[in-house]
Amino acid sequence: MPDWQERITADSRPATRAEHELRYALAAPLIRAAARWCDLGCGAGVAAAAALGDEPYGGSALLIDRDAAVADAAAAAVQAREATALALDLADGDALATLRSTLAGDEPLVITCFETIEHLSDFAPLVTLLTELAARPATTVLLSVPNDDFWAIENPHHATLWGEGALSELRSLLPAGHVALRQVALQGTALLPLDGEARASASVALAPGVASHLLLAFGAEAAKLGPALPATRVVQADVVEQRRWERQRESDLLYHVAALRALEARLAETEAALAQATAAAAAPTAGEDDDAPAASGHA
Amino acid sequence: MKVAFLLNDLQLSGGVGVVVQHARELALRHGHEVTLVLVREQEAAPWQFDGLAHLRVEGLDDARRERFDVAIATWWETVYSLYELDADRYVHFIQSLEDRFYDALSAERPAAAGVLDFPLSYVTEASWIAQTLRQARPDAPCLLVRNGIDKTVFRSPEQLDVRVGEPLRIVVEGNPQVWFKGVWPAISAVGRMREPRHLTVVTGDHSKIAPGSADAVVGPISHDEMAALYGASDVVLKLSRVEGMFGPPLEGFHMGATCVVAPVTGYDEYIEHGWNGWVVDWDDEAGTARALDLLARDRRLLTFLRANALETARTWPTWEQSGVFMAAALEKIRRDPPPPPYAGARQLAADSRMALDRQRLLMHERNEYRRLAKPALRLKRTGAWQRLKWLREHPAMQPVWTLVRPLTRKLRSKLTG
Repeated sequence: MPDWQERITADSRPATRAEHELRYALAAPLIRAAARWCDLGCGAGVAAAAALGDEPYGGSALLIDRDAAVADAAAAAVQAREATALALDLADGDALATLRSTLAGDEPLVITCFETIEHLSDFAPLVTLLTELAARPATTVLLSVPNDDFWAIENPHHATLWGEGALSELRSLLPAGHVALRQVALQGTALLPLDGEARASASVALAPGVASHLLLAFGAEAAKLGPALPATRVVQADVVEQRRWERQRESDLLYHVAALRALEARLAETEAALAQATAAAAAPTAGEDDDAPAASGHA
Repeated sequence: MKVAFLLNDLQLSGGVGVVVQHARELALRHGHEVTLVLVREQEAAPWQFDGLAHLRVEGLDDARRERFDVAIATWWETVYSLYELDADRYVHFIQSLEDRFYDALSAERPAAAGVLDFPLSYVTEASWIAQTLRQARPDAPCLLVRNGIDKTVFRSPEQLDVRVGEPLRIVVEGNPQVWFKGVWPAISAVGRMREPRHLTVVTGDHSKIAPGSADAVVGPISHDEMAALYGASDVVLKLSRVEGMFGPPLEGFHMGATCVVAPVTGYDEYIEHGWNGWVVDWDDEAGTARALDLLARDRRLLTFLRANALETARTWPTWEQSGVFMAAALEKIRRDPPPPPYAGARQLAADSRMALDRQRLLMHERNEYRRLAKPALRLKRTGAWQRLKWLREHPAMQPVWTLVRPLTRKLRSKLTG
């Protein structure tokens, strides 16, 4: 079972946080230009807050999660002129009706729905609502799904499985002109002067590769994402933690190999002893021979 | 939503099974009122598909009296009955480009191709069909809904059953009488193997399989039995020449069997050569046999392919997920305006013209043959010919004809060309 954390929190792996932050960072210019922003499946709002930065969002943010406490945390984390938390189960028809009425109006609106629809066993009503909203003149929707297909990840929190095949199915439901993006994982290293506290940034060469996540944008401002690409977010690896995890795994492996060898040796010994005992039990003893009658029948 | 699926019949086939699964999902999980409309008089009792009990089945006459939100043709012939139903939207659920099933000069081929000119919305199960349709009919909505897999039947094992030191267990599935299923070349390729193997052929007609060409011949069998067979097998060998979504290897994947396949349409939806399966060339029985021998010898490679096949299967959607996409697709089709009625008219006219030209050609050929056959027909009507025929068929004359036949062979050959 892969190691994962479903909710992105301050304790999440830096790489996981970075990939989540990048999605919000991509949306951030659209959000800032809109009067309203609705984040579906907002979680604790950590990535959204990081992507929006310290400059408060001038519009009104609606942060929606199934868990009211988590939505409240998101509303507290996100710097906005007005941040409202709302607990809604997006698989529920009544909740979607509430969402539809809450988002009524013609003001420019951005809806983000990252890593959410895979949690819904019936995502069709939500997708229908999002396409309906995106048909309005000033609404833009951004959503993302994980690429489960490639890694064959079985996540107990996911009700549906996503990958390029499922994304093709979803794209066939979306309006023409939608934007589809692949999010790729990055690995690398950097050299810095040993002395001093140098800070630097570096560029990354990118090529088409297997996606870790798949993003879709549709609606009024979706085409504006094009110039923002490629978007990258690289964070320095926490090598101390990574080293601990890898060393633990290696030492565990060494321990288990040794334990297995010891068990195999003991098993071999036991089998040998058992064979010896079986042979001894089967062979006639000297005393028994003495007592056995001779073939002739004489004692 | 009130939905009608039009079918020719409810006999056992992969295509009908897919329709029944979608209908069942729409009825049970999405609250739609679903009717299976049989457009033909039924000669045989329906196959007992799982889920059929939850669906209403009726004939075309009854369906004509109803009104539907969406009417869906599921096979090219049913498109010709589609407009007999009163519906808000007309849809063609395409599981293959079905004209390919027929010989180039058959009457069915242009008729099957011609349905793509009609003003319909499309739902299809394979990416390659969706891409083809979007090129052929850019005006028509085309939605992709991949088939799900019944994971309660094709229940993947937690861990792969690694087999070493046994014959390579191969399954060949399909009706050998259907030319595009490639059953004969598959059996022939296995026959050319050098390594130990065990071949099971799954077919409804055992009489067509030559004795000794397979170790076991089974079928027709239920899905549960098929799943068990795949679970006990290493390789699904499938050399089809026409496929839509290409389901059998995927079912095998779910049970931990890899596949050896030709690069038929639909294979690349989930099969990756050297990763979870082995793709061989067209018409290459020797090469196919070598690939199978390789898998029989190299158990490390076989285990690698089988393990990855199982992983591929784990992420394939269930029928529940597939049903969500079908529900969303039908909802979108109903919500959006219908396709423009005249967009396919140009192609329809061209296809009709082509059919007319073809018919004219056939008539011309027929008349030409008739003219050439005239002397022979005149000869056949003469009294001498009738007497000769009587003699030819008389039992007492048979020994004489047996003696004469080799002497007249050359003459007959010259006469008949």
